[in-house]
Amino acid sequence: MERRLSELNPGESGIISRIEGRGEERRKLLDMGLVRGTRITVVRRAPLGDPIELLVKGYNLSLRLDEAEGVYVKPVE
Amino acid sequence: MREIEVALIGNPNVGKSLIFNNLTGGRAHVGNWPGKTVEKKEGRCIHKGVTMRIIDLPGVYSLTAASIDELIARNYIVEERPDVVVDIVDASNLERNLYLTLQLLELEANLVIALNKSDIAESLGYEIDVKGLSELLGVPVVPTIATVKVGMEELKDAIVEASKRGVKARVRYREDIEELIERIGDILRRDEDLTRKYPIRWLAIKIIEGDEEVMRLIEERGLIEELREVIG
Amino acid sequence: MSVREVLGEEPEVAMAEERYRVIGEILSRVFRGARPLTLSDLLDKAFLNRYLGIPIFLTLWWALFRFTFDVSAPLSDLIDISFSRLGEFASSIIGNEWWSAFVSDAICGGLGGVLVFIPPIFFLFLGLALLEDSGYLARAAFVVDKILRPFGLQGRSFIPLLLGFGCNIPGVMATRTIPSERDRILTICVNPLITCSARLPVYVLIAGAVLGAYAPMGVFTMYLLSIVLALLMALIFKALIPYFRKGRRAPFILELPDYARPTLRSTLTHMYERGILFLKKAGTIIFLGIIVVWLLSSHPWGAPLDQSYIATLGKWLEPLFRPLGFDWRGAVALLFGFIAKEIVVGTFAVFFGLGEEAEIEEVQRSIVELGVFTPLTGFAFMAFTLIYIPCLATIGIIYRETNSVKWTLFTVIYGLILAYLIALLIVVIGGLMGLG
Repeated sequence: MERRLSELNPGESGIISRIEGRGEERRKLLDMGLVRGTRITVVRRAPLGDPIELLVKGYNLSLRLDEAEGVYVKPVE
Repeated sequence: MREIEVALIGNPNVGKSLIFNNLTGGRAHVGNWPGKTVEKKEGRCIHKGVTMRIIDLPGVYSLTAASIDELIARNYIVEERPDVVVDIVDASNLERNLYLTLQLLELEANLVIALNKSDIAESLGYEIDVKGLSELLGVPVVPTIATVKVGMEELKDAIVEASKRGVKARVRYREDIEELIERIGDILRRDEDLTRKYPIRWLAIKIIEGDEEVMRLIEERGLIEELREVIG
Repeated sequence: MSVREVLGEEPEVAMAEERYRVIGEILSRVFRGARPLTLSDLLDKAFLNRYLGIPIFLTLWWALFRFTFDVSAPLSDLIDISFSRLGEFASSIIGNEWWSAFVSDAICGGLGGVLVFIPPIFFLFLGLALLEDSGYLARAAFVVDKILRPFGLQGRSFIPLLLGFGCNIPGVMATRTIPSERDRILTICVNPLITCSARLPVYVLIAGAVLGAYAPMGVFTMYLLSIVLALLMALIFKALIPYFRKGRRAPFILELPDYARPTLRSTLTHMYERGILFLKKAGTIIFLGIIVVWLLSSHPWGAPLDQSYIATLGKWLEPLFRPLGFDWRGAVALLFGFIAKEIVVGTFAVFFGLGEEAEIEEVQRSIVELGVFTPLTGFAFMAFTLIYIPCLATIGIIYRETNSVKWTLFTVIYGLILAYLIALLIVVIGGLMGLG
């Protein structure tokens, strides 16, 4: 079952299945390694709940929740 | 004395400014890129009778021209054709860093890779076959630890060596993509002026991606009709 | 086969995937390892903790702020004193009266006026380099991004704005940590609205003179107004100015690099480069500005201040300021305030024939006795002082950092208009409420 990356809880992981949206935002996500088939883990939320910290391709990056909304993942254990 | 132009490039946080300082001895001319608020640093390094003019390009993750930094970096490499481009790669974050490396290879830049933070990679338990990496990419790879100036002499040697040799690297993509690149390249090569000024393989890839800047260039050149069949 | 047939509807995505596929293939042959739990991850458990994250952020910011302004203050004072001594010495050995005044007041005053900014700038960039090289700066942006987002700003705008409370120059220079050009220029444009420490003496002087028991409240209101206006103007600019509005929203995709021990050499280099840059670029503008003001305020040669060119200018501008209830002295004080807010208090002192070193109480008494301000116009004057461009040095650095005459003029002009409107609003509404 496909879920939005923004809906994963800290500690949960998924495999990226597709990225919605166009333009600069998506291009930047692709550049940073968020491509189909990549495993991604939500590490934590910022103290105010947004943005979120992710672990992808062996490094940490932060995304705003509305940016993570367009990233769809298949959850894995 | 021979003088060569060397551009430093790399992702943010890879230790690029430290390498710049190590190479130039900290003596830099700081200014701005023409008309931009982005900082431009230039310095000099003399090694084995060769004067290197070293230009610090902005730290970028990619060369898709999505930001001013990326546009500056890419235009510099395309238009100024520096003799050597040193790509500083974070050994502790190899996968994402190589994304930029691949794009630099598309640009047919004369590349030398400084595999920086190799101490940190080691402490994380990463094992990197440097020789293998160099062979697969077709470019020299020099492990460095910029914080303690390890690998700097080797890096300078590799730069001077590369400046004599010229470009030979080429990463190949999937066969059907390579065919597209070839077909688009054939059409582009009919424009001699374009061929002189730009790396054709790079233009072809950018046309495939629908890159705004390059599409505008192609339109100016009146090549868009001939390409219609391929790009659809 | 066309591009679409090979790569589908989104060739850009397909190419990115292809590059990462090739990288994966290369790494499978030359790389072995998986990211272990690092010290960095452990540190983040504290620094980015739900409850501790914000207190730690505030503490570190406060430390940077104190470091920048407190540690550098004695050095700045030393420079200030040295140059006035040098000026006195120069004037004592030069026979010609005009030349003596020119060398001591204009040249030495001008050099001192530039160099006093060097210590805070060096210390700021030392502190910022430490935060940045250690990896914390990215975390700070991560922690506060949500607070600033509704105003069209972003996480990295926070530190430049807060530094503005000390001095707008380091505040504007600190925007260099914002990678998006649009976000950066927006942060620069609203930075002068943050009330710098040099404006405080003006508030204290006027509030103490005319607001009586409400003086502390009046000063506090300025700080509140400062924050509200900075955020509000960011919001308005973002909504109305095509440059900020039209730009596709810059995604806030931020790498959180592993923490690292900053190296002394890179930190010092960073600091040195910035300091020199400030001297070369902003310094010349400030220096020339101070000389021009000296020429205007001391000529015609030998005339008292109230008959100088600058006073003539003030009297000429008086009708413009009459709706706000400021007389020519208020206008001249504002003109001098353009150079530096530090000299506004001294200007009033000179007007009342008290000399520049007069006690603040004496100046306040004269303001009341001579009826320069009512409580209402005094409050409006404070608001005007808060809003219009802080000083020549800030203009110099805005020009330097935006590299654009257009944005520099924009910041100066909107500041003047906004200052006038708010001051007018205070006077009119206060008048209607029967205050004044």
